[in-house]
Amino acid sequence: MTLNDLVKELGLEVRAGGSALETEVRGGYASDLLSDVIAHGQPGDLWVTLQRHQNIVAVASLKRLAGIVLVNGREPEADTLQKAGAEGVPLLVSALPTFELVGRLCGLGLSGIRT
Amino acid sequence: MADKEVTKTQEMIYELRVREVMTRKVIAVASATPMGELRGILRDNRISGTPVVDDGNLVGIVSIEDFINWMSDGRPGCPVADRMTRQVRTIYDDEPLVQAVNKLERSGFGRLPVLERETCRLVGVITKGDIIGGLLKHLEVDYLNAERRGARSSHIFEDIIADRSLLRLEYQVRGADFSRAGSSASGLKTSLGRLGIDPQITRRVAIAAYEAEMNLVVFTEGGRIRAEVEPGLIRLVVEDSGPGIPDVEQAMEPGFSTAPDWVRELGFGAGMGLPNIQKCSDRMRLDSTVGKGTRLEVEVLMEHRDDAERLSEGTGA
Amino acid sequence: MKLDEISKVLEAQWLSDRTGCHDRIGAEVLSCHASDLMSDVLTSSGEGSLLLTGLTNAQVIRVAEVADFVAVCFVRGKKPQPETLQLAGERGIPVLVTPLSMYDACGRLYVKGLPGGHGAKEIPSWRTRK
Repeated sequence: MTLNDLVKELGLEVRAGGSALETEVRGGYASDLLSDVIAHGQPGDLWVTLQRHQNIVAVASLKRLAGIVLVNGREPEADTLQKAGAEGVPLLVSALPTFELVGRLCGLGLSGIRT
Repeated sequence: MADKEVTKTQEMIYELRVREVMTRKVIAVASATPMGELRGILRDNRISGTPVVDDGNLVGIVSIEDFINWMSDGRPGCPVADRMTRQVRTIYDDEPLVQAVNKLERSGFGRLPVLERETCRLVGVITKGDIIGGLLKHLEVDYLNAERRGARSSHIFEDIIADRSLLRLEYQVRGADFSRAGSSASGLKTSLGRLGIDPQITRRVAIAAYEAEMNLVVFTEGGRIRAEVEPGLIRLVVEDSGPGIPDVEQAMEPGFSTAPDWVRELGFGAGMGLPNIQKCSDRMRLDSTVGKGTRLEVEVLMEHRDDAERLSEGTGA
Repeated sequence: MKLDEISKVLEAQWLSDRTGCHDRIGAEVLSCHASDLMSDVLTSSGEGSLLLTGLTNAQVIRVAEVADFVAVCFVRGKKPQPETLQLAGERGIPVLVTPLSMYDACGRLYVKGLPGGHGAKEIPSWRTRK
């Protein structure tokens, strides 16, 4: 499943990294704690989070995540947008809260990681 | 018992702690004490068992049953140490009474030695009798309080005219004290709940108080939260003496935060505090001067008739 | 879903003494809120809701109490700090821990039909007067 597929299926809005939407998404990870994602995130994960500050881009790059989706309709900070664009990290937005978005991602067959 | 009293008792079993009803004067014997002496001790103190303590440490427990078994074994000359039970069921002094009730039931013992959690020192003993006595005593005290509140609720009608505050609760908050952070909001919530205020109103006030308290802890050296319960509304006034907010409008924007990065890993710093407070309140006012301090005033309106009714219901007036 | 059933679905372990929160064990859980950001949690009422979180400090309990959550479940097998458990015991908030990740835990509960709580955009109208 690619980011593009998810964007279409779930009505996600693209804020940055639009050129990388054909990236294959291998799994999902939900957390708002950077330390968790750094410890357990896997390459190719789609990261579901509320955090809007620019550090999320650094983490996504570091862990080679497929992309980030912000929930609750939260918009990324200006710095975050800029960094995501510069580093080619896909940044998406969903109006849904974490629980529902993850539920639907699972429904589409995107599994999580067991730590 | 009337229905109200039964629920009150049930509540108390969860709220009261062992230390509030236990017997502090503990009769104990040393393990070297001869069994022959035990009878006198048990009889003189009218108890059915006693903890065995050596150098302040609980080493066992010996009961009348042990004594009777010793007698039927022909009263051998031996110390308490030989006949006592070494596996002692105990309870900590800060546990709620319901735990004591459960442990006593499960073990079938008549008493539990009470230990202080940090030091594991023996600080008391609790029996079913203590529990019942303690509950009755607290029920009495609660009736007294209810009477006082009853007197207050009749003031509501005077206060409507006089426009005076009905009840004031104040909390001091220390800056950077994360272990205590939220305790004021939590205490306020409990108090409002006890006053019989609508749970939705209580929740809104408690959330606003919590967010305000977290702001005090994260950004200031401390401050004060005051809650005023008046006919028709609850007001929160939160004040500190620094550092002050340079741009109040900006601070009110959802997502705007000046919290340092590490605060995020504690689950905060999302910049939702002030917007949340606004959402919970019917009126909100934030004044701040950099270098001097900040004053936040929040009002949550209550249905006038409902709250007066509820207050009088809560006091049994 | 009852809290007991949820704990089975999540393969969760009870961390709190069940006698301390006996009135909640059979409680009906109406929705679920998944978050590590406490301020986000406070944007909606937690009444009847389960809080799924990876944050283990005592503030989680304060927030759960203040917003009326039914229970807290920690994810990724994270055992909370002792003060957290102690506070939960004092305030009667049931605490569970699931070995599942936040992602998997949400997935499993969602597929069982448990609805989400209100997202920040759909704010429950607390100000509705009767």
